[in-house]
Amino acid sequence: MTGALDVNEFVAGYLVEVEEHLSASTANLLAVEAALRAGESSPRPIRELFRALHTIKGLSAMVGVEPIVDLAHGMETVLRAADRAAGSLSGSSIEVLLRGLRSIEERARALAEGKPVLPAAPELLAALTALDLAAAPSPPVPTIGADPEILAKLGPGERVQLAQGVAGGRRALRVDFTPSPARTAEGVNITTVRERVGKLAEIVKVVPLSVPASDGAPGGIVFALLVLTSAPDEEVARAAAADGVRALTVEPAVPPAVAALAEREPDEPVDREPQLRGVVRVEVARLDDALDKLSALVVTRFRLARAAAELRARGVDTRDLSEILREHDRTLRDLRGAIMRARMISVKELLERVPLVVRGLGRATGKQVRLEIDAGKAELDKAVAERVFPAIVHLLRNAVDHAIEPPAERRRLGKPEEGVVRVSCFERSSNQLELSVADDGRGIDRALVARRAGRPAPESDAALLDLITLPGLSTLDQATKTSGRGLGMDIVRRIAVEQLSGELAVSTSPGAGTTFTLRIPLTLTIVDAFSFLCGDQLFVTPVAGVEEVVEIDAARIIRGPAPGEARGGSMLPAAGEARGGSMLPAAGEARGGTMLPAAGEARGGTMLPAAGEARGGTMLIERRGEVVPLVDLGALFETGASPARRALVVRRHGAPFAFGVTRVIGQQEVVVRPLEDPLVRVPGVSGSTDLGDGRPTLVLDLVTLSGRLSAGRGGRGALVWVAS
Amino acid sequence: MSELHVVLKVADTEYVISAVDVLHMESFAGATRVPGTRSYVGGLVQIRGRVVPVVDLRVRFGLPSAEPTLDSRVIVVQHGGRTVGLLVDSAREVVNIAEGELRPPPEVMAEESAGFVRAVAKIGGRLVMLVDVGRIIGEEQDHGS
Repeated sequence: MTGALDVNEFVAGYLVEVEEHLSASTANLLAVEAALRAGESSPRPIRELFRALHTIKGLSAMVGVEPIVDLAHGMETVLRAADRAAGSLSGSSIEVLLRGLRSIEERARALAEGKPVLPAAPELLAALTALDLAAAPSPPVPTIGADPEILAKLGPGERVQLAQGVAGGRRALRVDFTPSPARTAEGVNITTVRERVGKLAEIVKVVPLSVPASDGAPGGIVFALLVLTSAPDEEVARAAAADGVRALTVEPAVPPAVAALAEREPDEPVDREPQLRGVVRVEVARLDDALDKLSALVVTRFRLARAAAELRARGVDTRDLSEILREHDRTLRDLRGAIMRARMISVKELLERVPLVVRGLGRATGKQVRLEIDAGKAELDKAVAERVFPAIVHLLRNAVDHAIEPPAERRRLGKPEEGVVRVSCFERSSNQLELSVADDGRGIDRALVARRAGRPAPESDAALLDLITLPGLSTLDQATKTSGRGLGMDIVRRIAVEQLSGELAVSTSPGAGTTFTLRIPLTLTIVDAFSFLCGDQLFVTPVAGVEEVVEIDAARIIRGPAPGEARGGSMLPAAGEARGGSMLPAAGEARGGTMLPAAGEARGGTMLPAAGEARGGTMLIERRGEVVPLVDLGALFETGASPARRALVVRRHGAPFAFGVTRVIGQQEVVVRPLEDPLVRVPGVSGSTDLGDGRPTLVLDLVTLSGRLSAGRGGRGALVWVAS
Repeated sequence: MSELHVVLKVADTEYVISAVDVLHMESFAGATRVPGTRSYVGGLVQIRGRVVPVVDLRVRFGLPSAEPTLDSRVIVVQHGGRTVGLLVDSAREVVNIAEGELRPPPEVMAEESAGFVRAVAKIGGRLVMLVDVGRIIGEEQDHGS
């Protein structure tokens, strides 16, 4: 039993690692392709590709996935040849290698899903072998002035890398690090040196040299680091704990090619990437679990505080206890911060797969697309990253499929044939990320969209967004291969706005292009929230969404007309009918009958009223000269209507909306748990939290709710209509 | 082959569900209502640190809901990757039902009950209905939009 479990864990770890190598490899291969287009060679990405495939091969052999071993081996061979050929690959071989990566990915996925792993396609293996045989002839390799011992270990790819660096204005240096017990005791070893030097310079190669043991080099070993840098010599020397540096002379491109070099072993220990040391990969589920445990701790913390307060009320001296509680508070906060940090991934990592997506789309549509990515330095919660990625893919599809014109049309319009799609990202605030996908295509045709939707042409970008995010709307007559039917913009909106409590905006100009902007929270889990009562039910809502808490003077509420029914209509049709169970005689039983369950929807539908049917008609209040619609949340939710004395004012697309509540209780940080189950996933409710009573309290998203209430059937909100 | 089943009562009628699906059973003292959900969603409860949606089987079976009593139980089931609580009037018994004892429900019953009843079985002179947990928690529908 435990044995089987271990194997599963091992395979899970294997899959994670393979996936990482695959995505890095894809990025590297695309970099090679880009370099090829620019007429440059790309020794570094090719070497990294080679290493990645070598690692995949080794891991797969350990797990016993022969098809992947075969594929990785074939690709590794091609890449070794390419590396020896100073980092060049032909366009056709890039295509074959990409197919190879996809093939490996498919097999890894099959393994993950417990399906049979298909053998490698013989035709693909043959293509790889053919590439190896037809390996590009070696281009001239630059001459490097260095010790023969070092030269012997320097491959042509590395020589080209050095020459390119020098040509690019950096200096090629050799700096030596001599390990010693004293230095090790100070925490200075080859790994830390690599890290330090790596910050100042690009490390091309680290060559271990054996030297006679001496006082200066008691270990009899010296590491020669060959680097490219623009940093001052002294800084590089200091980083390597060396006395000085030596310049390497680089004479570019003198044929003939170097003859038979010693084959480098790619995974010799000193050649490992140092950044990965000390990194543990953890499944998000485990971090979720830790967070769950922590929220349990937060709950007992509340109870503790309450108990202390009771003691105090009874006249007990609780000063010591209070001090401990404060300390406890701080520790909890720190612990929470630490777990949250562990859940963060960089936006760069999130966008790693974007180049492949765009490349595939460009090929499928025959359009030329240049992708520009500015990922910035932001990090976001893994759970948010996973949710937002499909939205990014949708936006990229739309950009390439619908927005960017075919080359001929672009030429006619006087635009460069190559379209540009730009993905950029920056941290707007400490808790919000702005992610935009922009293209220089044809822009959105408002008139066409309006015609399709059967609505008047939208005047503003916000109104246009409302139209294009209608489910099922498409501006293309034919469903295209890549986009399927419809634009899928409703999905993007749903992800950004409803799932992530974020915002979606568009700006478009005819002929010049379109930019979609997503504003999403970096983390979902902990928010500063107001707690309030509606009737007798307690709710919380993020402080960030609330513009103001206002007092309401009941005498100054204006009630609008209430057309239609006075009771709440339902926006979702009920699936079943209300019906009781029926009595049927039970076969051969003397008990008189069995009550049958009947598919029931006793009340059916949802309680959210449709626009204009808010209970008791629309109420309006005036705030600083602005007319604000007011809805009593207690009445809306049937938790008990009350004369609303307080209201939480939110603003959506610039339009204010007030929610009347019975009483505002306070403000505190809450741990929000998303509600995942379809039974309880409803617009306006973003999750649940525990305020310390052991019962779930709903976290409301009032901004979304206001949108639901005012986005009427007639386009602009009916409630707003009353105001004007 | 016989399998353990949990016997539960909804309005004096006895049903069974396979014990394999059941995570645990808890007493019930009310749930947090979620506005906008279907009528048979009783709300959310927190059980062992986990927030679980509850399906009120009375309402699901087309009956009026009832005030919770000391006998009321939430049976937490795990089905298709989801964890959902079933609110029942009582659940106190676990029985062994041999595979051969389970019979398909009469056709008229199958239709009437929208597929909620998967089989009927006689245990010691009592007739019980095996309910389809997947249907009850609505595996085919996803109205979250």
